[in-house]
Amino acid sequence: MSATRHHVIIGTGVAGNQAARTLRQREPAARISLLTLSALPFYNRYDLPRVFRGVHDWREFLVDPPSYYEERRIGLRRCTRVVNVDAKRKVVVLDHNEELRYDTLLVASGGRAYLPEELSEYQPLLDGFGSFEQAMAMRRKLPEGGSVAILGGDMIGLDLARTLIDTGHRVILAAGKQTFWPHVETPEQRRELLQVLERMGIEVIESDEEGGIASIRAGARGFATRRVVFGNGRECTADVLLPSFGLVPSVEFMLGSGVGIERGLLVSPSLRTTDESILAAGDVCQIWSGEEKRYRFYYGWKNVRAMGDLAARNLTGDDETFEPAQDETLHVEGGATIHSPFWEYA
Amino acid sequence: MSAVVVPQDREDRESPSNAQVMLSEDPRDVGWVTQNIPCQTACPAGTNVPAYIRAIAEGRHGEAYEINRSANVLPGVLGRICSRPCESACRHGWPGNGEPVGICNLKRSAADLKSAGHRITERLYAPTGKRIAIVGAGPAGVAAAHDLSVLGHDVTLFEREQYFGGMLRYGIPEFRLPRDILDFEMHNALRLGVELRRGQSVGKGPDEVRVADLLKDHDAVLLAAGCMAPLPLPLKVRGDAQESVDGCPDVEHGLPFLMGLHRGERKTVRRRVAVVGAGFTALDCARVATRLGAQEVTIHIRTAEEYIPVTKEEIFEAKREGIRIKGLRTPVGIVLDREGRLTGVEFVQNRLGGWRKDGRRQAIPIEGSEFVEPCETLLVAIGQKTVNDFLDIRIELDQWQNVRIGEDGMTSARGLFACGDFVTGPTTVVEAIGRGRQSAQKIDAWLMGKPRRKRVVQIVPVQEPLRERAFDFIGRQHMPTAPLHDRMGKNELEVELGMNTEQTVQEARRCYLCNLHYQIDVDRCIYCRACIEVAPRNCIKLVQGVEVRSDGTYGSLKEAREWNQVGAIWIDNNECIRCGACFRACPVNCISISCNEFVEVDTA
Repeated sequence: MSATRHHVIIGTGVAGNQAARTLRQREPAARISLLTLSALPFYNRYDLPRVFRGVHDWREFLVDPPSYYEERRIGLRRCTRVVNVDAKRKVVVLDHNEELRYDTLLVASGGRAYLPEELSEYQPLLDGFGSFEQAMAMRRKLPEGGSVAILGGDMIGLDLARTLIDTGHRVILAAGKQTFWPHVETPEQRRELLQVLERMGIEVIESDEEGGIASIRAGARGFATRRVVFGNGRECTADVLLPSFGLVPSVEFMLGSGVGIERGLLVSPSLRTTDESILAAGDVCQIWSGEEKRYRFYYGWKNVRAMGDLAARNLTGDDETFEPAQDETLHVEGGATIHSPFWEYA
Repeated sequence: MSAVVVPQDREDRESPSNAQVMLSEDPRDVGWVTQNIPCQTACPAGTNVPAYIRAIAEGRHGEAYEINRSANVLPGVLGRICSRPCESACRHGWPGNGEPVGICNLKRSAADLKSAGHRITERLYAPTGKRIAIVGAGPAGVAAAHDLSVLGHDVTLFEREQYFGGMLRYGIPEFRLPRDILDFEMHNALRLGVELRRGQSVGKGPDEVRVADLLKDHDAVLLAAGCMAPLPLPLKVRGDAQESVDGCPDVEHGLPFLMGLHRGERKTVRRRVAVVGAGFTALDCARVATRLGAQEVTIHIRTAEEYIPVTKEEIFEAKREGIRIKGLRTPVGIVLDREGRLTGVEFVQNRLGGWRKDGRRQAIPIEGSEFVEPCETLLVAIGQKTVNDFLDIRIELDQWQNVRIGEDGMTSARGLFACGDFVTGPTTVVEAIGRGRQSAQKIDAWLMGKPRRKRVVQIVPVQEPLRERAFDFIGRQHMPTAPLHDRMGKNELEVELGMNTEQTVQEARRCYLCNLHYQIDVDRCIYCRACIEVAPRNCIKLVQGVEVRSDGTYGSLKEAREWNQVGAIWIDNNECIRCGACFRACPVNCISISCNEFVEVDTA
């Protein structure tokens, strides 16, 4: 195997960073480029609720010190947007028109918060929690003891809700189909889970029972800054609105590459796309499940890290298949606590 | 350059000082326009997109409307429902350039914002005395009728439905295409003396007109009967009932569903609706179903959302209305209860394969992966086919049982022409219009003994760049739409509301005006590299030579690596975004700009 191969990794989340780590171990001489849209090196997004516990320094969130990349000769390119991948020429095109040639490409661009199309017109009134910058912006906006309305739910939003309740904020949950995303629950489980959330101090509104979200308005001066109006006329107000409807894979830049895409990049159990030089790992890929006979996503920190590691090994000569690294079920303990493997990170 | 020089005589545009207009048929000029104006090349009707967008940017909406109308006949209609092949080709959408220009929305703006007293321009030919019958008053038939009447022929249009418009009226819901817009533009297209016989079928029945008789009574007959028969979908019946698929009241083909609705029939759907199909008809069925009260509507497609031939805007609006799209599945059966009512659709899971010849992605079913999705109404919208059993004369058919036509547009029967979806199978409205117009030219040439119009390249010097670099940073303007809560239950309420004047001008400014040809006069260039320094892209190159292909288009540039290899300094028009920075920076004024575009002129 050539020692001068250029491995390009798009995304510095859990999968991308793990892949770079494994690649460096297995190919000490190879050139590795890690491309990220973020201004920060790899940090733990699962840890972001800590900004509400007084942790405001970005350095506190970094998984590895900045010197890590230099020491391992991993070319980290921050604030870099990939706009296209030309698989025939093996070139990644960046938005400043630079072309980056690769021998192998790992797409680990992850997912971004999904905003249902019917709410898209209200985007200016909504906040995000997908990055350190967004988390800090939300913290600055939220007054002491202020209120947050979480639209939808999902395990990322509910994780934040736990912290917000702990830190003395008011949390309203407009529950919907994605409340426990990525878990799939039965109607009975759902009732029990929502009751647990209420016992935790979250005010739950079943969105569908209220006629769905009809509109979102900016609040009047002197009152809460946001107002959610439901189909039956009921309203709820909050200082911050956080849409939490799960993730949508970030694949736009791959559309011209020719590799198979449904919602995410379609990959074999060994994480290979239809192009032999391109693999994918993490929240961006849909992996073929021979058992379930369908392409499916595997979420959670442990799964994503395992994918990053596997992709790097398969890029460097192995041909192993992905085995889920964590349980996917949601448990209620003692009627008062929810345990999700999605929240288990270290 | 082989060109005739003629004085500029256009009344409707300010002339550049001392300018001369050149008309060229040189393959290099034809090739340049074909290669460098991708939107116009992609448009089946050949609409001069940069010209009308420039007119809009300068506030000349009426002229923009006429530029459109001269090519695509129904700008207000197409501005609402076109499949937008131009936007897929737009240079602004190429990698690294951002999003394509909203060409279709601008077309609509030209129609919406033209003055109330706008006058239509038609360059009429003298009457020829020739009589032509056209079968079918859909987009292809109406476009052909319009052009043939402009060329001086007497045209009679036979339409079996009570109203003209074909698929436009009966296949497309009113919330996408308001009928007053359709009526207005159709009347404009047919007002030059076209006789319209509504409710008159052509066929072999007792009350029908026979094609053989039409041929006897007319100098030429054009078949533009469209493609209105739904493709069958073989589905097995599962469950307890003994019903066949055809006998199930909850299963209907999408196009007859829409056509019935638009003829005024009362259509109903049950709570959960499954639509199978990946085209505009499938999307329309799903959106109509939501308006009819369905609570859960899902479109099931064989490949994935990224590969289906509908616009992103349509998909977005459908999703806003609560419609879900599920990919990688092929329907194989239906599940019925004891009463013969639908309870579900059985699918098989697919994986993606390679690419088909038509550019679509292949879907390959996975054995043993069947599953059932519960639903109570199934609408099948997987495509249409042509029907030609109404013909009372024998003519040659192709392998798909479509009518075969020659290069001259004529079938194997003398004087009998055919065009549009009736020949090609299902396409798009703009393709049907383009083919209708081409057919009109061919009929005219046959009747008159020679082509009377031809396409040449008009080259007009331009004194200065028409764009500013700042325009490249304007974001795509989004079409305002009706509030969601107003849409339900109202099939006639138009969803897209049209852009206002400010949005329209902003969007028009985004157009690169690809018809502007920037050239460097090598003899006057001092090779100072000032233009290269200011170029925002790698668009100005020092080259050893340039390949000219046999069709006149420019091929690859052979870039020079050393100064002693430089044969020329060359503007790579493929990369050029017509910002004008090089023109402004040149200290010796050796960069010239011309506007190169196709125009139609009379043959000598």
